Amino acid sequence: MNRKHKSDLVILFSTLGLMILGLIVIYAIGPMRANVLNSTYGADYDQNYFFLGQLRSVALSIAAFFIAFKFVPYKYIKKFAKPMMIIALILSGLLWVLSIAGSSLAKCELGECRWYNLGAVSFQPAEFLKLALVVYLADFLSRKREEGAIGSWREFWLPLLIVCGLSLFLVVVAQGDLGTGVALISIIFGTLLVAGVPAKQYLIMLALILAVAVGAVATSSHRMERIHAWLDTISGAASSDSTYHIENAMLAIGTGGFFGVGIGNSVQATGYLPESINDSVFAIMGETFGFVGLFLIIFVFGIMLFRMLKVADHTADNDHRIFIVGVFSWTLAQVVVNIMAMTGLVPVTGITLPLLSYGGTSMVFIAFAIGLVLQLSCYTSREVIKNENISSRRGVRGTHYTSRRGRS
Amino acid sequence: MSRIKILKSVTFIALAIIAVRLFFIQIIEHGEWVAKANEAHTLLETITAKRGEIYMMDNGEPVPVVLNQTTYSVIVDPAVTDKEGIKNALEKHAKSYITADIDQVFSTEGLRYYIIAKNIPHKIATAIADENVSGVWFQKSNQRVYPEGETASRLLGFVNADGLGQYGVEGSLNHILSGTDGLLKTISDVNNVALSIGNDNVKIPAVDGKNVVLSVDRGLERGIEELMQAAIDSTPATNAAAIIMNPNTGEVIAMANLPNYNPANYGQVPDASAYSNEATEIPYEPASICKNFAFSAAINEGVMTSSSTYYNLGYEIVDGWTIKNAEQRATLNNHTLDMKTALYWSLNTGSIHALKLLGGNPEEITQQGREKLYDYYHNKFRLGRETGIELIEAAGYIEDPNEGWGRNSTYANMTFGQNLGVTMIQTATAFSAVVNGGYYRTPTIVKGTLENNKITPLSREGVVEDQILTNDTSAMMRGMLINNRSYKVRAGIDKPGYDIGGKSGTAQVIVDGAYDNSMSNLVGSYIGFVGPSGEMPQYVIMTKMWGAGQALSGSEAQSLFDTLSNYAIDYLKIKPNN
Repeated sequence: MNRKHKSDLVILFSTLGLMILGLIVIYAIGPMRANVLNSTYGADYDQNYFFLGQLRSVALSIAAFFIAFKFVPYKYIKKFAKPMMIIALILSGLLWVLSIAGSSLAKCELGECRWYNLGAVSFQPAEFLKLALVVYLADFLSRKREEGAIGSWREFWLPLLIVCGLSLFLVVVAQGDLGTGVALISIIFGTLLVAGVPAKQYLIMLALILAVAVGAVATSSHRMERIHAWLDTISGAASSDSTYHIENAMLAIGTGGFFGVGIGNSVQATGYLPESINDSVFAIMGETFGFVGLFLIIFVFGIMLFRMLKVADHTADNDHRIFIVGVFSWTLAQVVVNIMAMTGLVPVTGITLPLLSYGGTSMVFIAFAIGLVLQLSCYTSREVIKNENISSRRGVRGTHYTSRRGRS
Repeated sequence: MSRIKILKSVTFIALAIIAVRLFFIQIIEHGEWVAKANEAHTLLETITAKRGEIYMMDNGEPVPVVLNQTTYSVIVDPAVTDKEGIKNALEKHAKSYITADIDQVFSTEGLRYYIIAKNIPHKIATAIADENVSGVWFQKSNQRVYPEGETASRLLGFVNADGLGQYGVEGSLNHILSGTDGLLKTISDVNNVALSIGNDNVKIPAVDGKNVVLSVDRGLERGIEELMQAAIDSTPATNAAAIIMNPNTGEVIAMANLPNYNPANYGQVPDASAYSNEATEIPYEPASICKNFAFSAAINEGVMTSSSTYYNLGYEIVDGWTIKNAEQRATLNNHTLDMKTALYWSLNTGSIHALKLLGGNPEEITQQGREKLYDYYHNKFRLGRETGIELIEAAGYIEDPNEGWGRNSTYANMTFGQNLGVTMIQTATAFSAVVNGGYYRTPTIVKGTLENNKITPLSREGVVEDQILTNDTSAMMRGMLINNRSYKVRAGIDKPGYDIGGKSGTAQVIVDGAYDNSMSNLVGSYIGFVGPSGEMPQYVIMTKMWGAGQALSGSEAQSLFDTLSNYAIDYLKIKPNN
C-alpha cells in the first residue's frame, strides 16, 4: 500500500456542498410539502417538519461520512465483507417474511414494503444491502482475481450469481424496488468490469441481465404501465394519471428557464409534483435554480464521479479499486436514472438523488460509502495503474503487483 | 482502451445527454412549459356577489320575507382510505341531508369526486369539518329562505339553480338584487388555494346586490291570502287574484295570486303557469268593470251625467250583431232609464249609449265616438299598455278605432269590457283615477332599496302623474259606484260610516277564438274603493276568481271583495265618519 497522503479535496467538498444545497432546497419547499399533506390528507405536519428531518439526516450523514473517512480503516470493513453481506440479505429477507405475515414491523407504502418500522425512525435495508454488496464484491472479486479464478464457472460465476441473484430478487421482486435494482445492477457490472472479467463473458452476462430485465417488465402490468406512461409523455400523447408525475416534473424543470424562479417561489412544489422533496427534488431544483443551477449540480456530480474514477485509476490495491468503482457505479446509477426519469429520458423507477433527496437511510449509507472512498483516496499513487485486464495472465498467481512501479 | 476509461466515457456520455436534454427543456422549450404551467396553475374564480334580500312592510317597518342562507354541499373522494371515518362523521351530524348511498359511492371504482350531501347549514358543516376526516370537502352555496312560506310566492318569484331570479320580484328586479360578481385570478396550489407567488394576481371584488323593500304589507298580504283561500274552498273557483292599492299614491299594498307554490321547492309545480303573477302578467277581459271607464269618458266630455236618460230596449243591434243586456227584467226593458240605473243594473245598452253620446249622435256609434273612447281608454286610462310597475307585465291590446272590420261592434263591446285585453293592474290603476279625483298615477310596489336601515327610492323612468278626469267627473262616478252598493249597506254587509263603492264584471271566456256562449266558462271580477264617509277613497281593491270550465259570475268576486274590504278596514284601521 502507498504511503498515506492528503485526501481528495474535490470529493470532500462536492459531497458536503451537495448535502448543504439539498438542505437549502428542503428548507424552502418543506413548508409547502407540509401544507399539501395537511390539507389533502388531513395530516398535521409542522412547517419545519421536513427541514428538521433533513437537518437530522444531513447531520447523521456528515457524521457517517467522517467516521468512514477518518475512523474506520477500510481493512476492518473488508474483514466483515461476508458477515455484512449475510446480515444484509437476512435483513431484507426478514422484511419480506414480516410483510407477508402482515407484521407492523414492516412499513409499507402504496403496497410496497421497503422499510422496517422502528418507532420514531424507519430503516430501509436495501440501502444497507447496496453498501454490503459493494464491500462484498470488492473482497470477493479481488480474492478471485488473486486466486486466478475469475471467469471460472464453479469458483467464480456460481457464487456470484447466487449472491447477486438473491440480492436482486429481494430488492426487485420482494420489495418491488426497481430503482434500487438498477443501482445493484450498476454496482455489479461496474465492479465486474474493473475486476477483469473476460470481455466475452462480461458481454454475455450483460445481455443476459438485459433479457431478464425486459422479461420482468413485460410480465408485470405495473411496470408496463410505467413504460407506457413514459412513451405517452415523450410522444406528447394525452395526459393520464400515469403520465402525471413525468409531466409535472418536466413542467417544473421547463418553467425554471435559464435562471430559475428563485428560492421559495416554486409553484410545482405546492402539491402538483408528487414526491417533490424526495425523488423529484431535482425537478424542483430545476424550477428554483433554472438551467444554470441544474448544470452546476450535474457539473458537481460529474467532477465527483470523475474524481472517484481518477482515485480508482491511481489505486494499486485491487480490492480498493473495485470498492471505489462500486461506490462510483452506485452513485452514477442513482444520479443518471433519477435525472433521466425527471427529464423524460427513461421511465420513472422511484430512485433518490444521492445527497440531495429528502430521506435518512439512503443519504447516511451513500455518505458512509463516499467517506470510505475519501479514506482510500489518501493512498493513491501518482501513476495510473494498468492492471485491470488479466485475460492474458490467467493463473499467474502472485504476480498481480508486477506492473506497480511504486515510485511513491 | 482501459476499463476505467470505459466508465469515464459512459459517465461523460450520460451526463452530456442530460445536459443537452436540460438545455432543450429549459431554454428552447421554456416558453411552452411556462404556458402549460400558467394553464395548470392559474385559478380563475368568480367571487359570487351576495344577492339582495326582499322586504315587505309591517307597521311601517321593513321586515324580511326572502332571506339568504349559506349552505354547503359535502363532496367526498371515494378513493381515500378512511371510509368509515367519513361515513361515521356524516351519519352522526348530517344523516337527513345525505343524498346518496354512501357504501355504493365508496365501492365505485375510479370515482374521485362525489357530492354526497346537500343544503347543509353552516353549523352542521362545521361539526363535520371538526371531525378532521380526510377526503372530504365542502362547497359553499347560497340558498334563498322564505320565512313566510308560500305567502305571496307568485309575487316574489324564485331564484333558479344558476342563481338567476325567475318570475315575480326576483325576476323583474334581478338586476338590482343580483349585484355584480367579482373575479379572482391567481396562482394556486394543487388544491386550488391561492398562493402569494406570482405578479399578475387580479382581484376584482364583488358588488353585493341591494335589498329591496316592497310597499306590500306583510300582515295584510297574509290575511287576504287566507280569506281568498277560504273563498276558493267555498266556491267552484280554483283560482283567485287580488290587488289592494292606494289610489292616491299608486302604491300597491297587497297583491295575491292563489294557488301559491312553495318557492323553496319551485320545481314541483304542474306547469310554468303556476309561477305567473296573474295581476300583472295575464291580460283578460274585465267585462262590465270597463263601464266605469266609458261612463267616466262621457261625463268628463260633458255629454252625459248620472241622470242623463236613454230608452232601454233590452238589446242593441250593431253591425248586424245583437248585443243583449244580461239583465232582462220587465221593469227595465222598454223603459227610459237614467245612467245611474244603467250602471246599477250593469246594462250593456247603457254603456253603448255613453259611446254614442261621446260621438255626438245619441242614435248611433260614430267615428268620433270610437276615437274619443280610444283616447280615454288608451291614452288617458292607459289600458292595453304596460303600467310601468316594477314587475313583469303584459301590455294587452286595444283595437284601433279606424282600422279593421266591424269597428262599431268592437267598440260597443269595449264599453262593457270585451274585445280588449287588459291586466288587473291596468284596470285597478285606471279605476284609481276614476275615484281619486281624476289623477292617473303610475302604480308602484317598491318602496326602494334598503341599506343601513335607510330606504332609498328607486329611480324610475316614465312615471306618469296626470289629471285625466275632472274632480267633478270623479265625484259623480264615486256617487254612482256607492249607489251600486246601496243594498250592501242595507244588508249590513258594508259597515256604516264608510263610503264603499264598486262594480262587478262577468266575462265570457274566449275558447278556440270565439266567445263560449254556453255561459259555462266565466271569469268574475269586482273592483271597488273604500274610505271614510264623505272623504276621498283610501284603498282600491280588485278581485278576480275563476276556474277552468267553471261559470263564475261577478258575484263570487263581489263576495270576496266584501270580505276583503271589511278585513282591510279593520287591518288598516280606517276610521268611520258618522
